[in-house]
Amino acid sequence: MLVYDPSTNPLNNNEWSFPLLEIIHIASFAVSVGTIAVVDLRLLGLGMRRQSSAQLLKDTAPWTLIALAIVLMSGPMIFSSDPNMYLNNPGFIFKMEALLVAIVYNYTIHRKVAQSNPSPVVGALVGGVSLALWVSVVFGGLFIAFT
Amino acid sequence: MSLFPFFHWLQQTDFGTALRESALVYPTVMATHLSGMALFGGMIFLTDLRILGIAMRGTSVSDVVNQLRPWKRIGLVLVAGCGIMLAWAKAEYYYQNPYFWAKMTLLALVGVHALVFRKSVYNNTAELDRAPVMPTNAKVAACLSLALWIGLVSMGRMIGYYEIKP
Repeated sequence: MLVYDPSTNPLNNNEWSFPLLEIIHIASFAVSVGTIAVVDLRLLGLGMRRQSSAQLLKDTAPWTLIALAIVLMSGPMIFSSDPNMYLNNPGFIFKMEALLVAIVYNYTIHRKVAQSNPSPVVGALVGGVSLALWVSVVFGGLFIAFT
Repeated sequence: MSLFPFFHWLQQTDFGTALRESALVYPTVMATHLSGMALFGGMIFLTDLRILGIAMRGTSVSDVVNQLRPWKRIGLVLVAGCGIMLAWAKAEYYYQNPYFWAKMTLLALVGVHALVFRKSVYNNTAELDRAPVMPTNAKVAACLSLALWIGLVSMGRMIGYYEIKP
């Protein structure tokens, strides 16, 4: 049996580390989702139309990846503050499912299509699904505090 | 003159009460505030890093600033609109919350930033595209913008941590 006592976690033993970690998590998810959204707006034909989606993907991908790496490091640390609460939280479970789909989608279909400078219909579909997935992840995260 | 009577009045309006007591609408407004912030924040981040010559170097400053401008405006309206609703629902709590006032101060400074740098930087991007080296005031504008928005996001999160002392 795994015995883990969250009260021994440093995150639960001072006033500042938990909020600071959350701020880092929020600021970096804003950058990762926001940079993906710029590519999505192009795929949807709604913005940055003087650039191709392939160009925008190339420009934003390193920043998306750096920010996503920070998100994926700070997230599990936040989780470690109270694992049982998170594992029993419907908002958290939904967020993890949406996140898994969103990441796989982003680095397979989304990347392939953005690189190929797709037709407007395919672009709109792929960009729309991407936005919907990432917004779902954010909603799931927020609802952790309300479910 | 204290603003408290106004915040008290806001909170007890039918709209404020309904919003505060709704189990679904209130968190949805907050999640929309957060999603809009992500979309909008990513654009500000890319614009600032482009001016600093760190990101999006294959695209001109003009193309980044001018093409993202309408979306930043839409984002600001969405985020600020949701933010106003969140404060409205719990106006008395916000009134007493120092992080809220810190955030509003930073927001006012964002307005000052826009007024100060609009002419020389954000409405002057054709000039910036031609400049062999990015002018210092444009780089200062970008750094200040990053600092202000990081501060805004931080204070926004901290609002939720403030407990009113009895």
